[in-house]
Amino acid sequence: MRNDTPALVKRITALSLITILLIGFFLAFKEMPKGSAVNVNQRVSRLYVMKNVETATKMMENGKFFAKGIKPLRTDVPYTPITFGKSKNLEDGAANVVTSIVVDYRGFDTLGEVTVLFLAATGVAMLLFGKEKKRKNKTEPSLIMYVGTRISFAIIFLFGIYIFVHGHLTPGGGFPGGAVIASGILGLFLGKNGYKPNHLGLKVFESLSGMAFVIIGLTGLFSVHSFLANFLPTGVIGDLYSAGFIGLIYIAIGMKVGAELSAVVNSMIVDVEEEWS
Amino acid sequence: MQALQIFLQNWIYLIGAMAIFGIGLYITLTNENIFKIIVGLDIIESGTNLFMTAIAWHPKAVMPIYTATNQLVVNGKVVSADPLPQSLVLTAIVIGLGTTALALTIAVKIFEKYGTLDVRKIKEAKR
Repeated sequence: MRNDTPALVKRITALSLITILLIGFFLAFKEMPKGSAVNVNQRVSRLYVMKNVETATKMMENGKFFAKGIKPLRTDVPYTPITFGKSKNLEDGAANVVTSIVVDYRGFDTLGEVTVLFLAATGVAMLLFGKEKKRKNKTEPSLIMYVGTRISFAIIFLFGIYIFVHGHLTPGGGFPGGAVIASGILGLFLGKNGYKPNHLGLKVFESLSGMAFVIIGLTGLFSVHSFLANFLPTGVIGDLYSAGFIGLIYIAIGMKVGAELSAVVNSMIVDVEEEWS
Repeated sequence: MQALQIFLQNWIYLIGAMAIFGIGLYITLTNENIFKIIVGLDIIESGTNLFMTAIAWHPKAVMPIYTATNQLVVNGKVVSADPLPQSLVLTAIVIGLGTTALALTIAVKIFEKYGTLDVRKIKEAKR
């Protein structure tokens, strides 16, 4: 596409490209099993649901499990049904299966994800922070706004902490909890002109939380057998103090994401020389 | 009625996800404003996430969380939705947020340097 191509030609080209893409996708869909036929019982992720991956791995090493093709789990792997509030000493005690995958089985993945978020936040801060903050032509928020954001900040902060502490029991976890806390801090920005959080403090807090994650992982390496292995008892499924180290890691992630997103918000509320209009 | 039900159960989420993907791609390809391009990329990302959660789902699925009334395994068979794509989407959402923030920051920098967000004008200003 040249610079002087008419807009209509561009649009038609884009539409035809998208049509070709969609036709390709639908041809791929025809090969997929239909919604009612998709069965988790024939997929590997059922082992995550049944919290029995270790046994399956051992059987796979012995050539028993996957060698004969995938079969119903009852006949291949010894399995006792999980009852909420009663089952003890499971392989992974989190009631939320998605959490147990994200933090426990694929914890290394989450460490990479946190690193990516850290890099993004650092990049934003590097590009934007340190400019002089000029805020012309802005009305001072009223007293109601000021007091209201202060009061609601406390409630929002508490709610964020609730979300990431209960990450292994309810839908939620460190990332949504951190985002909730950052939204509370955004409210503080709206409540008062020239509000400045302690940027250095945020950075230090964030680094300490990230280090806590790595230290928990290293503890697993030295005390059990592998990096980010669970070294705490898993307890009864459904209790608050269960699921081993998932609670600790989610607290670390929640504080890290909260501090990181607050730093991003702080950097992004920079008014550039007022030529926006 | 039966055909409509089968259609809704099997195809509606996949078609919706691909429609969102197509809308985002169209926005990205046809707009010249950098901000709108970033918005288009975000819409593409939403379509991809919806697609991944849709292939994890089946019509009789329950949520993959053990609660007092929610049984994930009935008679030795798993009845929940597939939790693995859902966890991948959880990762993808967070990374999408980070990349969007970085892209917007770079857009702010471009606006500071060239005084415009139009891709063509930036290209002309370079010469």
